Amino acid sequence: MSGSKQTQSKEALLKSYNKRLKDDVKSILDNFLEIVKLGQVEDETQVDRITHLEEVHFQMSVRSHNMVRAAESLLKLVSDVKQYLILNDFPSVNEAITLNSQMARNRCQQVDQKLIALRDDIAADLYELEEDYYSSIFKDSAK
Amino acid sequence: MTDIRLEVASENAISEIHYDGHEVRQPPLSMSEQLSQFARRIDFSAVENGGSDEPGGKTGEDAESMEDDEEEEKPCQQPHWPLESVRNKIRNAHTEICVLHDLLQMVKEKKYLVLDLVQTPQPQPKLYIQFLSLKKSLSNASGILMQGAERIRSSQSSIARPSSDFHLDLLRLRKNWKLKKVAANIVGDLSYSAVGSNFKHNSFFEVTKSDDDVTLTTPLSALPGSSPSIGRSSLRVTVPPELEGSAYIFVCIRKDEEDLCSAQLNMLDGLATLNAQPNMSPSTEHWQQKLENAQNVLFCKELFSQLAREAVALRMDIPPLVVANQIAATIFPGIHLLIALCHSHPDSSRSRSSLTAPHNVLSNGTINELGSSSTTASSNTSTDHHSSSSLGGGVSSLKNLHDKVLEHSLHQLFHSYLKSSSPMPHPVYAPLHAHPTRRVAGPQGLDRQQLMQTVTHETLLEQIIKEAQHNFLRLRTMFVIDQLAKELKDPLIFSHWNLFNSPTQSCVRINIVTQGFDSVIRTTLVVQVFERSLRCVCRDGRVMTLSFEPQELLNLLRCQVAQHQTAAVQSFSKLMGWTVNCSEPCLGVGSAEPLGSASAVVLTSPAGNKQILVRSGPCTGVSVSVAAAPRNDFYPSAVVHERRWDQLPGAWQEVRLDSMEGRNFLAKIELLMAALTAQN
Repeated sequence: MSGSKQTQSKEALLKSYNKRLKDDVKSILDNFLEIVKLGQVEDETQVDRITHLEEVHFQMSVRSHNMVRAAESLLKLVSDVKQYLILNDFPSVNEAITLNSQMARNRCQQVDQKLIALRDDIAADLYELEEDYYSSIFKDSAK
Repeated sequence: MTDIRLEVASENAISEIHYDGHEVRQPPLSMSEQLSQFARRIDFSAVENGGSDEPGGKTGEDAESMEDDEEEEKPCQQPHWPLESVRNKIRNAHTEICVLHDLLQMVKEKKYLVLDLVQTPQPQPKLYIQFLSLKKSLSNASGILMQGAERIRSSQSSIARPSSDFHLDLLRLRKNWKLKKVAANIVGDLSYSAVGSNFKHNSFFEVTKSDDDVTLTTPLSALPGSSPSIGRSSLRVTVPPELEGSAYIFVCIRKDEEDLCSAQLNMLDGLATLNAQPNMSPSTEHWQQKLENAQNVLFCKELFSQLAREAVALRMDIPPLVVANQIAATIFPGIHLLIALCHSHPDSSRSRSSLTAPHNVLSNGTINELGSSSTTASSNTSTDHHSSSSLGGGVSSLKNLHDKVLEHSLHQLFHSYLKSSSPMPHPVYAPLHAHPTRRVAGPQGLDRQQLMQTVTHETLLEQIIKEAQHNFLRLRTMFVIDQLAKELKDPLIFSHWNLFNSPTQSCVRINIVTQGFDSVIRTTLVVQVFERSLRCVCRDGRVMTLSFEPQELLNLLRCQVAQHQTAAVQSFSKLMGWTVNCSEPCLGVGSAEPLGSASAVVLTSPAGNKQILVRSGPCTGVSVSVAAAPRNDFYPSAVVHERRWDQLPGAWQEVRLDSMEGRNFLAKIELLMAALTAQN
């Protein structure tokens, strides 16, 4: 049950990403086309000419801001998608865990081998050292 | 052509014609009737049409429509009296004049209406103004777009640097830590729940994007696949305040302690900063280091809480004592195992950790008497902070206490505990899941004891207490053997410790030899050290189990040394050709030994006229006596064939070994035997 809910929410999230992408791209395109259209010189207007020019100026400013906003929204979308991918890319995480555990295991094995070799060397040396130590007369000073 | 004159006939119109052809003419019109007839012929509609151009007049269309109406009304509207139409026209004219008068009056007053000139058509505006305005608008729009693009480019260029890429750091973080997105935040988990931990503690940390570029000097070598360098991290982690700082489990073995709970020591100042990098505030610590420290704190807390829980539930003769952040358990009479949780906050004002004072904790090398304590202390393995060279004197004294044996065991035990407590993978609809051993119990035919082992588990505290007991007993055994080896010059005691040990079992082989006579005799015994007991396997195969009291081992060793002397003399006599008359390992005659029993051997010279008695006791030492036969000559008879059966020894005389030449006892015996043999 929870699995289906998660799948649904994931689907909804992906759809929302898709929708955001389309909306932003559409917003950039529409605003650009509108700005180009506003660049035409019109002969007959029902409003005053100065008013019309002010309106065109304001409209261009707003539309260019909208384009910038849509571009930044696209960047945010990219960031969100990256974040989503990083947080939900379980195969990659599993691979990393496997790799890390393999590395740790190898290292553990290497360390174990070194320790065993060291133990063997120390055991052999210690035996001789013990022989020498216990047969010497300098036990008091040595200890 | 002559003009034809058309005149109205001066005859009246015929109004009636009778049947007889008589015409009845109308009477001629009077003057008034003629005037009305002429007036009727005036067409006022033409006047109305001509006045449509006047202000306030009707439009042409309206006039036509009115004319049509009038034409339509003409046949049906007959004037009632002759000058009716004239009156109507005049009245209309009067009405219009009145309206005009009113209008003029209002305009004149200028209160409600003002007359103005009719606007003439505007001249066509000049297009270059419009062009300029549009150009300005477009340049403004392009400026805004350029600014936005520049901002995006700068942000992208900062992202392009791999050292400050938030997502790259997040990817590294994700590969090592558990992360999930909760609402708009990224939350990570430090707990060990994935490996079976049920510790209820706030272990969540939050990942945010750091706005300021902080230069870090943390070596990134701890990260897999990264090289040590000075890097910037665009990622910031926020751990719970109770997990900040550094922590470790302190384990030591102490002797006697009235002041077990009262002697406490505030954490040394230097210890708090051991983990932290020098000149680095906790906020600028690298996230990997910070998370590792926090997880280590969590691990120590979980381990200590588990130990404390077990200590409360543990049934022992002397129950363990849990006070604040310390657990004290009695492992031997007068010997205590102390486990403490030390946690230092980065903020010194919050540092409230405490340690038991180490002044009566002895290090391994300072055992000065039998039964004295040894000390092991543990440190944190993940953060080897004791390698720092900037430690104070108090810390360096603590450093000497750390041998990491019990700490390492504790960590290993807890790891195995977590691993064993995590349920095996099983179907969710399975009602119970059996222990893996129980699944194979049937096919492998396990007995009851083995089955019981699968359901009974030793607690962590019990295991660490056993290891501490073994550790302590091993060190004390080593100390006893070394002390005896130092004390005894003859014979020599060699001890060889076996390095193939388990945490609760170790083994030592003890050789007792006489210097220079190694090939003659060598007494070997093996001592196995367990948690609370020793097991000795002697040369003759006897197995003795000793308690943890050191005196028992000492007595055993002394007995073995005493027996070694008699056995050495016995073996050596074979080389010298002497005959062993009798040998008694447990002598029942003579003065009683305080411990154990003396052994004795009687030797006869090859000639049979000299005898040596060697008596060796664990406490009294070795005494040698000689006896000689009184007669030097021998005459064989039928009964006594050999000389040795004829010579009976006389009185025993003790030899003063101290005055004899020789490095050790066997050398002196050799000299003595040679001398006695030579006297023959």
